[in-house]
Amino acid sequence: MKKNLMITPEGTKDYLFEECISSGKIQKKIKDIFISRGYSQVDTPCIEFYDLFSMEDSGFSQETMFKTTDNRGRLLVMRPDSTLPIARMAATRLKHLNTPLRLFYGQSVYKNNPTLKGRSNEVMQMGIELIGATGKRADLEILTTAIDCLSATVEDFRIEIGHAGFFNALVERLNVDPDTIEAIRSSIESKNYSSLNIILDKLPDSPQVTAIRKLPRMFGGEEVIEKALKFCNGTKAENSLCYLKELYQDLSILGLGDKITIDLGIVQQTNYYSGIVFTAFVTGIGDPVISGGRYDKLMSNFDFPTGAAGFAVNIDYIAEINLKDRRKDTAPVPKILVCAKDGYEIKAIQKTKELVAQGKNAVFSVFATYEEAKDYAENAGVEEILTVGE
Amino acid sequence: MQPLRIALTKGRLEKDTIKLFQKIGYDCDSVVNKGRKLILPIGNGEIEIVLAKAADVITYVEHGVCDLGVVGKDTILEKGESFYELFDLGFGKCKFALATQKGKDLYGGYKALTIATKYPNVTRRFFEDKNMDVRIIKIEGSVELGPLIGLSDAIVDIVETGSTLRENGLEVIEDVCPISARLIANVVSLKMRKQEIEALVDLLGKEVDA
Repeated sequence: MKKNLMITPEGTKDYLFEECISSGKIQKKIKDIFISRGYSQVDTPCIEFYDLFSMEDSGFSQETMFKTTDNRGRLLVMRPDSTLPIARMAATRLKHLNTPLRLFYGQSVYKNNPTLKGRSNEVMQMGIELIGATGKRADLEILTTAIDCLSATVEDFRIEIGHAGFFNALVERLNVDPDTIEAIRSSIESKNYSSLNIILDKLPDSPQVTAIRKLPRMFGGEEVIEKALKFCNGTKAENSLCYLKELYQDLSILGLGDKITIDLGIVQQTNYYSGIVFTAFVTGIGDPVISGGRYDKLMSNFDFPTGAAGFAVNIDYIAEINLKDRRKDTAPVPKILVCAKDGYEIKAIQKTKELVAQGKNAVFSVFATYEEAKDYAENAGVEEILTVGE
Repeated sequence: MQPLRIALTKGRLEKDTIKLFQKIGYDCDSVVNKGRKLILPIGNGEIEIVLAKAADVITYVEHGVCDLGVVGKDTILEKGESFYELFDLGFGKCKFALATQKGKDLYGGYKALTIATKYPNVTRRFFEDKNMDVRIIKIEGSVELGPLIGLSDAIVDIVETGSTLRENGLEVIEDVCPISARLIANVVSLKMRKQEIEALVDLLGKEVDA
């Protein structure tokens, strides 16, 4: 059998030099924002029990998870997300602490994508979870933190906000079976007007049907809420709309204009979202760079019924965007090479440290002879050779 | 401003789409007389047409290197993953169907069926919905041969007029689903370039409905 000695698995890669620097800078900026907002860092294991992610409504299909077993044959997965592990952690070891808990993380998540699609199976994510708080103030805290992360790291972005309660209130009054609801949901999610209409044409006319028919197109500025309010008069959906309007108006104080939009058609499959849901986009990246929302229902699955909300930033995408025009594709080279005469090695190392302390880009030469060092310096483009002796 | 980039499935869907663009007032001469070029500006250059094979249209749109795409529902069902399906363009109509030799009782008995097809994902989903285990064999062309030379019990394929089936003694025993050309959009493009895309979709929509 051919050994896969020289390649990495599909969907993974080695990160080199400026890629690491770019990613590190972005992570530092975002970490500083999280810390300044009072969040504390936690790490969760890379492998977790499969059961954690196979809960009903978790939204992770078994095909997309990397699996292995433990020494008792129990199924393990490489975490496809950090929210569920942190919810587990909060409901167990942190249960007796004062709430709200402000937690942040920076760790990779894994997804077994279909082959030959050019997608990453390993993605660096940073995010926060605010556990034990509900209401507008908590939602604004989460949303403005997400906006801060974007403002600090990318030039042009859109953040769009929806409400899981809006769709749920509309379909609740349709009196149709769960399979039909799922078909409606997935048509709205993919903005598939034709298939949505085929499903709705079979249902009797009602204000809900009219409203749902329009959902895939209900995204944009505040006018979207006004339009939706017209056909949601007196329904439960109206509450979610009024709440969204309030949030939108509060956020408009930030003066971000059309960077903040409303999308009433955000209907994620992860049923664990119960309140606001939001995603952020950046020009040049074909997928959302941030996604998050409120997931109050989820915490009850861990016998810890409390409000919770959070979001995750895809660090790899943001690092890539920041690198796009700055990629050098050359190996890093020092400016000064410090060579030691025989017996003066330690002295030369100390000299190198002095130079570095003065802010110079110097390294200690590990070549056995001066000639070899000189050859290397000429080929690699080192500006200066310094010899230490006597 | 970058032009709006639209990927078209080469061949008949390309011609029908270009006719539609001409009707709503775009100068499409560059596509009509394209030579061997693959990226073609139309109108005043505010739109760029990219010509591609059907499955590649989806790939380009999913990765966001094209903002919009025109592709058959058949390819969407077989390859589709994450994009917005905005619009049924109404042309390129045909259907997926299950077919076998005329008069054959396909569902009789308890034998596990073998199905030949160019569309294994569509076929798998169709039989999964029926709670049936079938063996699927992927064929690259002339799927009709499957039952005729004894490779499979039946086929799942695109049927337009049904004349190829008839000439080979096969008949449709069940429709799988209807097919037509669709306008698809990249998830981020639709958000970042909402006005442009909506204006275009409205124009196309009025023309298709007319």
